Amino acid sequence: MSLLSIRNVFKSYFLHGKRIDVLRGVSLDIAKGELVSLIGASGAGKSTFLHVLGTLDMPAAGELVYDGRSVFTMNDAEIADFRNRTIGFVFQSHYLLPEFTALENVAMPALIQRRDRTESYAYARALLERVGLGSRVEHRPGELSGGEAQRVALARALVLKPAVLLADEPTGNLDPATGEGIHQLLREVNRDLGITAVVVTHNETLARSMPRRLRLVAGQVTEA
Amino acid sequence: MNAERQTVYRWPLLWSGVLVALVGAVLLGVCISQSDAWEQVAGVLGLSALGWGSLIQTLNALGLSAVQSSALRSSVKLVGTQYLVSGAAVWLVGWALIASGIRRAPASTEGPSPAAGSELYPRLAQYRDFYWSTLGAYGGGILLAELVLILLQTFLSSGGGAAGGAGEGGGLPPTGAFAISLIVSSLVAFGCGFVGASRARRLAMPEATIGVIYFGLPVPVLLTLIEQMPDLQVSLGYRLREVTYLAELLGRPVVGYWLVFSLLVLVLVLGINTGFIAAGSGRLDLRLGFELFVARRHVGVFRPSLMLGTLAVLMFGIVPPLIVYGIIRAVEAAVERTRIRALGMKDPLAAASALNTLKLREQSPTMMMTALSVGGVGVGVMALIIVLSVMSGFEEDLQKKILGAHSHVVVSKYAGHLPEYKRLMEQIAKVPGVVGQTPSIDNPVMVLAEGDEVQGIVLKGIDPDTVGSVLDLDKNMLPGGELNYLKTPEKVVPRRAFGGFGSPPPQEEEEEESEESNDPIIGKTTKGPGSKVLPGIILGRELATIMRVVVGDRVNVISPQGAELGPAGLIPKSRAFRVAGIFYSGMYEYDAKFAYILLDEAQKLFSTDGPSNIELLVADVDDARRISNLVSRELGGYPYRSRDWGEIHRNIFSALRLEKLVMGIILSIIIVVAAGLIVATVIMLVLEKRKEIAVLKALGVSDGGIVKIFLAEGLQIGVAGGLLGLFSGLTWCLFIERVGIKLDPSVYYIPALPVKIEPLQTGLAVVIAVLVTYLASIYPALKASSVEPVEGLKAE
Repeated sequence: MSLLSIRNVFKSYFLHGKRIDVLRGVSLDIAKGELVSLIGASGAGKSTFLHVLGTLDMPAAGELVYDGRSVFTMNDAEIADFRNRTIGFVFQSHYLLPEFTALENVAMPALIQRRDRTESYAYARALLERVGLGSRVEHRPGELSGGEAQRVALARALVLKPAVLLADEPTGNLDPATGEGIHQLLREVNRDLGITAVVVTHNETLARSMPRRLRLVAGQVTEA
Repeated sequence: MNAERQTVYRWPLLWSGVLVALVGAVLLGVCISQSDAWEQVAGVLGLSALGWGSLIQTLNALGLSAVQSSALRSSVKLVGTQYLVSGAAVWLVGWALIASGIRRAPASTEGPSPAAGSELYPRLAQYRDFYWSTLGAYGGGILLAELVLILLQTFLSSGGGAAGGAGEGGGLPPTGAFAISLIVSSLVAFGCGFVGASRARRLAMPEATIGVIYFGLPVPVLLTLIEQMPDLQVSLGYRLREVTYLAELLGRPVVGYWLVFSLLVLVLVLGINTGFIAAGSGRLDLRLGFELFVARRHVGVFRPSLMLGTLAVLMFGIVPPLIVYGIIRAVEAAVERTRIRALGMKDPLAAASALNTLKLREQSPTMMMTALSVGGVGVGVMALIIVLSVMSGFEEDLQKKILGAHSHVVVSKYAGHLPEYKRLMEQIAKVPGVVGQTPSIDNPVMVLAEGDEVQGIVLKGIDPDTVGSVLDLDKNMLPGGELNYLKTPEKVVPRRAFGGFGSPPPQEEEEEESEESNDPIIGKTTKGPGSKVLPGIILGRELATIMRVVVGDRVNVISPQGAELGPAGLIPKSRAFRVAGIFYSGMYEYDAKFAYILLDEAQKLFSTDGPSNIELLVADVDDARRISNLVSRELGGYPYRSRDWGEIHRNIFSALRLEKLVMGIILSIIIVVAAGLIVATVIMLVLEKRKEIAVLKALGVSDGGIVKIFLAEGLQIGVAGGLLGLFSGLTWCLFIERVGIKLDPSVYYIPALPVKIEPLQTGLAVVIAVLVTYLASIYPALKASSVEPVEGLKAE
């Protein structure tokens, strides 16, 4: 039984009146607890695929089934809720909100769900300590280094204990050593918390270290 | 999926077609002007502009007005047929050109895409353009709100339909009834907008436009036309009397109708927007905690420095606070520089850190925009509050003076006098709410004093015993004269002789004068019986000044009423009076145009058998209309009639109200300009925060949540501005009240600028400001919610 399955998804972009087909009937099943890497050439549509998987982008056609429920047929509020509860995102850039402290940024998904403030902050603090930033909770994103910010972003993605973690080149902006630290964290998250993770990457060696490897070529996803 | 354009526009053809059609329209216009037929055509053209033309044509075709239109055609003398023909031809050619400029795009040469045949993305498949139920909710809502307003107003102010005939109350005062009905109908409009928008899950502007034009417009149009069309007046005028009465209080009823209509439309739009925000993403969610948390971080409006700075600008103008700010900043910078240099001498890194914290305090341009918007709203609210309060002060002053010199309710006969006034007064005394009454009679006369100063005035016969219970005359008497001298004119000391008309011989007068200079009043009265005692008259101060008379002087009154038969036919009656007192009401109009004598004397002068009016004082001035109706009912109606002050002085008060309303509208424009600033500020915020919006959406905030966040940001600015404006406006009003701003008394007859702070009107100014800022933030907030997460995340 797959946790997340995507069926026959089409997505095209239109540039100067010309159609560029990015996803051409992609179908894929991901089982619970899997750690999956996705590689492909630049512009092949890796990010688009990840966005469709995370309901950030809407395809032209296709179906997304999570745990037996069809996601695309939900209304806006339900989809936003699905994104909030089920999926954690980590992007190439950290995308932390600059007006808020590291602690508030991590707690943000819980606050969106209108959970109790003190409880959320307590858990967020614990998570920040877990990623090694216990001393930086009151700092704003502008006062953090790239690696630290990315670790805060990872903590934010995990604060609601999502079932799925989608990472879009999480180490793309970092030096190899810091990047390896982030990957180490991702593997631990997958192993210790049982969170299903899909990691898009350019780095072949990193990709090879993942149990399941996928490749996106010509609008189709194949096992690599 | 075929998102490509299906229509191709050839713009040169379109534009030339538009030009040609315009030429045709001008030619047709020339034809209409030459035939002098604009009046007949304007109505149909106007209706066509709103899309009603086809309906009218259909009705015509059904023969409902076939006769009328043929009669109309014959009444128009058609001149310039050549213009008509060429105009029509050119008009048609223009449209043909436009039509030829629109072409269907050629069919795509590509084959079907690889996705052809697979299932469309579900939410795209659900998308609908038009909701009949939403149209019903919007159109029905605005119509229902209008009907509720009219019916409730009629019901409440006439005392509840059929039951009102029993005469137990006559209902609420019209303004109170209007306030209640307006609130109820606003709720109806808001609710219907809310339901319609949450049903369609979008703003549904086409439905709203159609609904308002086709269901909302007819009622105000009908009310506007009532005045001009006698048929309508006959069939509807009586039923709508409460509504038209209230609108006429404004002087220009049409202004009132359309203002109320715009208000209802505004409330409908508010309801639509609120419905969309609350339920647009598919679930009703009215919680705001998180959105406010984010909004407060985005714009820190309620920071002491910003609030205090804006308040200072509002209170003292722009320049003084700017100078103070500049001085403070300069001093601060000097102190900081010295401190940092001292730090740097010991530890360079400490100096660097101090410099860093200094830099962090610098403000962003958005912050500046926010402060400007807050200030703009504040200025608008402040100006509204101050100007309206001063106008209320003038109005209250005027009302006080008018009601001091005139009574609240006047009872009279349609024709003739009231010899039976004693019986009527007993009856009137039974009406609850009447606290004083006095009989009176008034007529225009001429007064004449020494030196040929002739003045046309109104001479009023009064009863000194009861007049105090109605008019302020007693209080307004200047020292030297007394109201009671009217009854005992022998107590008035004649000041000097008055040559001319005298029935008393001149010697006697002179004797009296010499007596007066030596003896006190008592001495003179004992001597009195022999000399003729003139009846007393009380004049206004201005009149006395113009005529150069003082207490004790003699004036002659010439009345055309009750003329006597003389040798050469009818001659006006002339009587001599002695000035028994001078009053000063403060209203130039009254002080120059009124004089009072004893009721009996007036009856004799005007040769009538009784007073012409009974004047009443009521407990609550604003309730005068209802009490007037009660009095009228108590007396059994015809031939008696009873008019309240609002009816008697309708012109001046409706002019004042209209002036205030127009002033309010003009000053609201300041708020609208400030709202433009808010739009700009929030749009800047949205552009600045595109990435954050995308991130928030990725973290699971729904579109409605984003709208709420940015609405809250706009509203914060509005509320802050409104509060600052309220505070500074009230402070200025208090300043004017306590300290006062001097006026030239010869122009205004008020020594200082009057101020009356009306809580309702002041609150309304703030509410209007907040509503306008809410409306202003809708557009940027919707813009913010339409940022696609992917778009924002890409923009690196």
